[in-house]
Formats: sequence, structure tokens, C-alpha cells
Amino acid sequence: MRLIVDGQPIAFDPGDTLLVAMLRADLHPTGGGCLCLGGDCPHCLATVDGVAYVRTCQVAAKPGQVVERQHQAGYPPLPETHRPGPTVIARNRHCDVVVIGAGEAGRAAAVEAEAAGKQVLVLEAKDGQEVVGIYHGPLVVARTNEGMLHVHAREEVIVATGAAEIQPVAPGSDLAGLVTARAAGQLAAAGIDLGRVVAVGTPPDGVEAAAVEGELVRFEGQGQVEAVVIRGADGREQRVECDTVSLGLGFHPRDALRRMGRDWRVRAVGDAAHESDIPPCPAAGIVCPCSGVSVEDLDFIWAQGFHELELVKRATLAGTGTCQGSVCLPYVRSFLADRGQVLQPPFTARPVTRQLTLGEIAAGAHHQATPRTALDGEHRRLGAQMERIGGWWRPWNYGHVLEEYWAVREAVSIGDVSTLGKMIVSGPDTLELLERLYPTNVATIKPGRSRYVLLLDERGYVLDDGLICKETDTRYTLTFTSGGSSHAEMWVRDWAASWGLDVRLLNQTMTLGAINVTGPLANDLLDRAGLTDRPPYMGYARGVVAGVECQVFRLSFTGELSYELHHPAQDSVRLWRALLELGADLGLKPHGIEALLKLRLEKGHIIVGQDTAFDSTPRRIAHEWAVKLSKPEFVGRQAIIRTNKLPLDKQLVGFEMDGPAPIEGAVIWHNGQFAGHVTSSTWSPVLGQAVMLGWLYFFDGELPAVVTIDNRPARRVETPFYDKEARHARA
Amino acid sequence: MNEFMEKKVQFKWHEPKKHYDVVIIGGGGHGLSTAYFLATRHGVTDVAVLERSYIGGGNSGRNTTVIRSNYGIPEAVRFYQRSVELYYQLEAETERWIMHKQKGLLWLAHTEAAVRAEVARAEINTAFGADTEYVTPKQIKEICPEIDLSGGGAWPVIGGSYHPAGSTARHDRVNWALAEGANRRGVHIHQRTAVTGLLMDGDRVTGVETTAGPISAKVVLSAVGGHVTTLAKMAGLRLPIRTHPLQAYVTNHYELTFNPIVASTSLLFYVSQTARGEMLIGAEIDRQPSYSYNSGHHFLQSCSFRAITLLPFLRNLRILRQWTGVCDMSPDYSPIMGKTGVEGFYITTGWGTWGFKAIPAGGEQMAQLIATGQTPEPIAPFSLDRFANDRTLADRGSAGTH
Repeated sequence: MRLIVDGQPIAFDPGDTLLVAMLRADLHPTGGGCLCLGGDCPHCLATVDGVAYVRTCQVAAKPGQVVERQHQAGYPPLPETHRPGPTVIARNRHCDVVVIGAGEAGRAAAVEAEAAGKQVLVLEAKDGQEVVGIYHGPLVVARTNEGMLHVHAREEVIVATGAAEIQPVAPGSDLAGLVTARAAGQLAAAGIDLGRVVAVGTPPDGVEAAAVEGELVRFEGQGQVEAVVIRGADGREQRVECDTVSLGLGFHPRDALRRMGRDWRVRAVGDAAHESDIPPCPAAGIVCPCSGVSVEDLDFIWAQGFHELELVKRATLAGTGTCQGSVCLPYVRSFLADRGQVLQPPFTARPVTRQLTLGEIAAGAHHQATPRTALDGEHRRLGAQMERIGGWWRPWNYGHVLEEYWAVREAVSIGDVSTLGKMIVSGPDTLELLERLYPTNVATIKPGRSRYVLLLDERGYVLDDGLICKETDTRYTLTFTSGGSSHAEMWVRDWAASWGLDVRLLNQTMTLGAINVTGPLANDLLDRAGLTDRPPYMGYARGVVAGVECQVFRLSFTGELSYELHHPAQDSVRLWRALLELGADLGLKPHGIEALLKLRLEKGHIIVGQDTAFDSTPRRIAHEWAVKLSKPEFVGRQAIIRTNKLPLDKQLVGFEMDGPAPIEGAVIWHNGQFAGHVTSSTWSPVLGQAVMLGWLYFFDGELPAVVTIDNRPARRVETPFYDKEARHARA
Repeated sequence: MNEFMEKKVQFKWHEPKKHYDVVIIGGGGHGLSTAYFLATRHGVTDVAVLERSYIGGGNSGRNTTVIRSNYGIPEAVRFYQRSVELYYQLEAETERWIMHKQKGLLWLAHTEAAVRAEVARAEINTAFGADTEYVTPKQIKEICPEIDLSGGGAWPVIGGSYHPAGSTARHDRVNWALAEGANRRGVHIHQRTAVTGLLMDGDRVTGVETTAGPISAKVVLSAVGGHVTTLAKMAGLRLPIRTHPLQAYVTNHYELTFNPIVASTSLLFYVSQTARGEMLIGAEIDRQPSYSYNSGHHFLQSCSFRAITLLPFLRNLRILRQWTGVCDMSPDYSPIMGKTGVEGFYITTGWGTWGFKAIPAGGEQMAQLIATGQTPEPIAPFSLDRFANDRTLADRGSAGTH
């Protein structure tokens, strides 16, 4: 079995990790540094199958793996192109107790929990279950050979991850041939020839080694260690020649998971629960191999006044590299304790404790779907250009925006308005709820009638607009804007619950389709479709259109005679096709949103969200007529009464100008001063000029009559721009 | 020694005095900047900055370091443009390396409404001195070839805005350069000194109670991030602030080849590459208000998913660590600076997700207010009383993600 290292095939034995395989071939992954074989240090990093920063001691060798040892020469490159990786799956597991680590302490904890009748899950990194973080829940997130594993612990998480060995800090610590005592034992067991081994500190198990006692002074050699120098108790230096130095310098707990889980039901057992050994303050050498920080650097930064562990970390970058302080933290704490006489606590433990790629952590995530109406296929069949509008896929146009526009103004057209928010409110407290929510006199709406309403927040700002339609005393239909309906639903439900009112709220946005039949020939089309008993302007009725049961709302957003047909969504296609067919010789063309935006702007109808801002009071958008302050109570009333006493600073007004329409967002100027901006702008075919809505500031208490937009004069005019008497809509 | 180690900044620590002319609560960017400008521009040096932890240990050391001025209303464009200008000269002025680097900021739009918003942003920016232009997908690809314009087939890029002045700096170094500049001119900085109460004489604030004892002052400025509502309450003020966590993460270090700052308005994430080669990725605030610094899995999962949708090369990069800061959100997504109605007590807060970029201008303006007692014209619109006066700053351009 072979794998590829730097383009050369090397053989490996079954059961080898990548690191062991490379060492068998006499290839040190990073050229030097003390190997720990525990996944704790940065000395065995390589790029494996296109992923850099892989700890090769934690990865099983596999045939055909491609390993690049580029970490010796600076940072690895960013991948240039997209190589779609395998889709990583995410699975969820539930259990009573999660034990992280299957060493002695972990096994004992698992046995104990099982004896107590708990359902236990043990995760072991050596078995390819690397825990990367503990989150609120507690939720344990692990990378496994089969994808990501999200374990939800009902009772507790036990961290039994053991301890890392303290690395040497001394000149020459970047040589090859240095291993921790545990690593020495493991390498020997794997059959790696370590040559002459010198043991500093605790000697390795099962390895023949010459033990030396004393303080570590330096390692000597060229690339490969040749000797270690030790200072004995008598102060004399002793140089011992060797091929390998085994370093048993103590332990510090792998307790990052416990520390990041401190607010939750997480505890550590075994070595992971112990305090860190604090090594002697180092005299010289590299403390942080990831960021290349030396004892000298620490001395310098201390002298500059950086004394807090966090500041030292941030100023030197010690502990911010790929091992996240696993190597340097005991030494930096030791250094600061020596200089400042206080042992500072370790810096914060943060996810991720075992590194993984963005592609891996993203497993199980989804895009929030943009919904499509029941007529989506019909629009596409008609060649519509579909866009995301108001949180839905909607037809922008069917290829001929002006034809669509003129069909509405001069013949008849249909538009898909299924995206409107639709809600039924029923129950004994319905009227009470609506009176408190809406600034209009809901009680004066007669059965079978509907009314345009604003929805306000407590500050008196416009949240949404729509209709209230009364069916009976205890049953109303509300409509909301397409983009605002989910927020509005929350709003209504929240207030109904807060006030403890006895109402039932049914969101029908998804279950009901809606088609707007609009244009001067709308009555002719509906006659043909069998709807002869039609509601008056702003009226409401039930009826059958082309064989489909509909709720018929007569209103007008386009400015022409219009009927909104709300119907079960499963009948949308049937109704749409029938209307298209029945209206073909009336000049019927469906209209998209682009035409609708033109039509409504000619009528001066606002779109909440486009024409309004965070601070749009009814007064600022010139909709005071929609607010009845004589009502004793409604959301926003107090704020409006208060702010009405303040001078008005700006208002949403209409403008017209000759020539092409300025862009939406264009700045409005008055005598060289900022005067507002355009929120909606279109060239009006029926009026032969540009019409706009925009925010205009008051100057000396007056709104300027003429302003400059797009370096051209624009006249402020009353809206609507088209059909001011609403004869068309009321026809 | 690595090339990014701090080599110049030097601090001098003092024992707290019983009285200072000015006490600044909060040793973050805004507190330190105010002290710096008080000392350098107004000769006011009898100043103490009180920090409960270590300087820059709050949000000033947790943010994603984007500097920009592409806001949505004239008041904000002017203010942040001033801050951008000050940032561009801060290295020369302080003679400290803050790793300031111009990168250019791409703000991507995926919907018709987002396109309209970016067009409007370019218009208002251009009118008020910030350089922002509307860009087509083709131009976007030229600026950032790494982007998958199809958005993984799900979120195609249909337009965007480009703000060439968009830049980054290293947050710690900004904090330290300002702290040292103030410190050298006599300002005292007291770490591990938490304010536990305000000293009041009637309705007037006359100092602070701290874990190191009481300190009296002529003027107390709250430059607190996070627990500002708690502090303001001590002065009898109720602030319209809610505090939300904001999370971010970095990958390991890679060669420096990713140039711009890229943000997406629909996918709600942003990416840049730090001077040290980490890819730095963040998202919008967590919806649930909280003071918690705990990191979340959902954020890391969903943000990574969205990021690789648009920048597929990120898929194979290894994540180094994630962290969390907290954002003081005002109702109109704009900061609150100036007088409070309580004598002797000023405030700079509401820094939401835009505090870092405002550090120099915020400090400059607050210093002028403290030194003169007069609210400078550029920050007058950001006063606390705008909420009572129905003069909120309706800035959609600010409600971005960083």
C-alpha cells in the first residue's frame, strides 16, 4: 500500500497514521519540532488531499492519499478554484450522557453511567470521532469518518480527553528527532527505529533510553538532533550525544472542551480535570512555534508594559496559531508568573478544538427556500422573467412590460397576487383585537366591506399596510404585504396573546391563491367567467368564477377597475388558464411586477418598505386620514399624539418631471442643499412624463415646490398622478 | 519574532488618583480614542480611563475590523467619512503600525430590492463625499474572481456596490496606538478597575465608585459596550438599547491572495483576509438579545454554508477559532453620542456592529464635546434626545452586517 508525499510514493503498514508512515520513510512532516502524536502540537502538519493544516498524527494512512509538506515554507496557498468536495452529511444523536475520550477515565465514567441506567455515547478521537466543540444544550459536535455528528446530551457531558505533554522550550527545539515521552513509546511500538535515545525528565515506557537529570539547556544538531545539553544540579553542563531525545516534561490538561462548556452540564474526569503543570520559566528558545515567539520576545513585550496574559497573547500572537496555545500556554503562564508574581488563568477556550473545514462544519445547513406560488409554472410557461421579490419568486415581466401595462390601462389583465399575506381572525374577541391593533374605526366597517389600513408599531411608525375585510361580527379577513406578512403575523399573534383575547388566527397565505383581474374590461371578463353578482368598490363577496369558488375583493392597486379573486391554491392553475382563455379576444395579457410598480406609482400608492423608512409615521407619509385618534386605544396612538405636536421635518410626496425617470434612490436637492431622496420612480406612459415618490425635507416650514433631481427640475405635485378622482377604480 | 509582533507601543501604569477632570468608563476603542483626542487636540490630560478587564478586551478586540463610510443618510456618510479619513492618517500621526490596509468593499445584491438599495447607496454616498459605485456582475467578477456569480445555483449575484475606500486595520493595534498616545501625554489607564456605581450630587454625576475606591470627576463619559444600559440606569437614564451577540470566526493562515472585503446582503455574511492570512468571516447579530460571549454552533454551521455558497474555495479551509462579541443596538441602527440630560454625564453608545470603524471620529467628536461643553455639529444628529423628538436616523445603509 502506498501514498504520495511531495510527489513520491511511499509504502506504509496497515494501522499506520500518516505521520508514522512518513517517519518510516524518514520524512519529517515539518522538518523538525518535538512530535507528540497526540494531536496537540503543530509539528506534524501537512496538506492532505487539498486540505492544509492536517495533523498527520491524527489521520490514518490510506492508499492513494496525496500529502504535501509545504508548511515548512510559509503559509499554504488558498485553493484557486472550486473543487466540489463530497457532500458531508450531518446526523443527530440523542443520549443521556456523552463521554468524550475512551481512555481509562472515560471508560470508567461510561461504566459508572451505564450502571446507573443511563444511555451513554462514548466518542474517541482515535476511532475517528473528533469532538470539535461543546455548545449550548449541551450539544457536542464531532467530526466522524461518516460525516458530522451532533450529539444532544440530555443529562451531561463528561470530558475525558486526558492531558497533553509539555513541549520543550530551549534553543534547537525545532530540530527533528525530538519526541515526547509518550510519543517515544508509541513510535517504538510501531517499529520506528529511534536510534540512541536520551530521556530528559520522565522516561518513556518500553524504550531503552539513557536518562539524564537536570535542566534542559539546548539541543544541538543540523536539522537532526545530534546532542542534548543538560545543566545538572551542580550547575555544570553535560552534553549527551543521541539520535532521539525523549522529553517527559509534565502534563497540561486537554480541558478546552470543559472550559468552553463551563456554563452547561459539562465536567471533566481523569487527567483532563487536573491543573496544568507549570514548567520552569524558560531562559531561551521558541515558546510559541506556531507564531514564532521566543522568550526574548516575551521579555521585550513585558518591558513595554504588556503584562496581562491576553495582552501578551495579542501583542506577540503567541497562542493564536494553529495549535491554539496548546504548546505555549504553560510557558507563557510560567513566564508571566515569574515576572509578575501572579499565575494568571489560561486564556479563553474557544471552538473549534479539533480543526475542521468550512465544508465539514456546514453539513446539515440549508438555504431558506424562496417560496413559489401555485402559478409559478404558468409564469414560466408564458416566458416570464422570475425574480425574488418580497421574499417570493414572482414574474418581473412576461417580456413586454408596456404591452402588459396597456392591457391594464385599456383592456383587461390578470396578475398573480397569491403572495399577499392573508389571515382569518375569528372568535368572540375579534373586534376587540382589531380595534386595539389598527388605527382605523374597525367597528364602522360593514359586513361585506373592506377598508385599507395601516399597521403601526408602538412608536407610531408604519409596519405594514393591507385590508381589513368584514365577513361577520366575529370573522374578518386581514391582508398584509407580501414581504411583511410573516412579521405581521407574529405581530398580531403576539398582541393577541399579550392581551389574552379569545381569538383564532389562521394564516392562509400559503393555502389561498389570489389573482387580480384588473382593467376597464374586467367586468366583461368576469361576465364571461360566470361572475355576474359582483361586489361594489371596496366591497367583498363570495362567488364562483370559471367554476372556482372565490372570495371576491373589489379594490384597486393599479388604478383600474379591479377584483382580487382569492381561491384555494389547488385551483389557481385552472382559474388562471380559464381567465386567459376567456379574455384572449378582450386583449387580455397577464402583467408582471414591473408593470404593476408603474401602475401603482401613477396612482401614488406607496409600497411599505420601499417608500417608507424606519421612522415613517402616518403624518410623514401623508396618510393621517387612515388614523382615527378619536379612538380611545390602539397600538401607536400615544406616540402619534406626542409626535404630532412636534414640527414635521419631512414628508413623502409626489414629483413629476419631463424626460426619462431618474433612478430610484436619486438625491433630491433644493437650492444646492440636500432635500431628500427618491424612493419610487417611473416613466408614465399614460401621462407622458416621469413620476416619482420621494422624501422631501421642509425648508423654513415649507416644502419646496420645485426641486432638482438628476440635475433637472422636478415639480412637487399632489398624488395620485393619474385619475385623481378615482373614476376608473370606482367605475 | 514574527513580523506582526508589537514592537513600539509602550504603556505606563499608575495608581488611581482620587480625582480627575475627566473619567472615561470603558477602555475600549471609543474610550481610548476620546482620551487620545482630549490629550492631543485639547491639552486635556487629567483623564482616567477605567477598564474592568484589559484594554480592548471587549468588542474593540472582538470585531471584524472593517472600515467604511458607505452609509445611507447624509449625517452618517459624513460622520463615517471623517472616520475613514482619520484612519488613513492614524499611522502617520501615532507613528504606530495599525496594519491599515485599503482593500475595497464589495456589497453584493441577490434580489431586485437589494439592487435598488445598492443603487441608492451609491447615489447618497457620492453626493456626500464617500466613494461608492454601483457594479454589475461582470465588474464584480473582475474585482473578486473567486466569487461564484451563480451563488451555488441558488443565490445568483445580480448586482452590487463597490466602495474602494473600504479597508481594515488590526483592532488591537488601533486600541494600543490610541491608548499609548494618550498615556504618553499623561492620561492614566487603569485596567482591572470596574465601575460599580456613579457618585451623584442631586441629579448631577460627580464621579464614579470603582473596585479601587471612589474617584471624583468634573465629567464622566460612558464609553461602555455591552452593559451600557446598566451603567446608564445608575444615572437614572433609560437607554433605547438592546444588546445582541455577534459572532465571527477565522480560518488558519494562508497566502495573502484574497484582496477585497466581500459582503452579501441576502446571504448575510462577510469575508476578508487578515494581514496574517486568516480568512475572517462574520455574520449578522444573533436575534436573541444577550450579554453572553458563548459561541454558537448554528452560527458556525449556517455562516460557513452561506460563505461557501458564494466563495466555494472556502470549502477546504480549516477553521481555527470562533468567538463572540456583543452589540448595543439602537432602534434606528445609528449610534448615540453626546449629552444625556444628566449634568456631568456624557455618553457614546449604540455602536452596534459599526463601532470599530467609528473609533477615530467618535473619539474626536466626544473629546471636543468634553473639552468645550458644546455638541459638535457632526454628531448633533446622533443625540440621545432624537428618540423623544421623533428625529430618529432612518439609515437603511447602516443595517448591514458589519
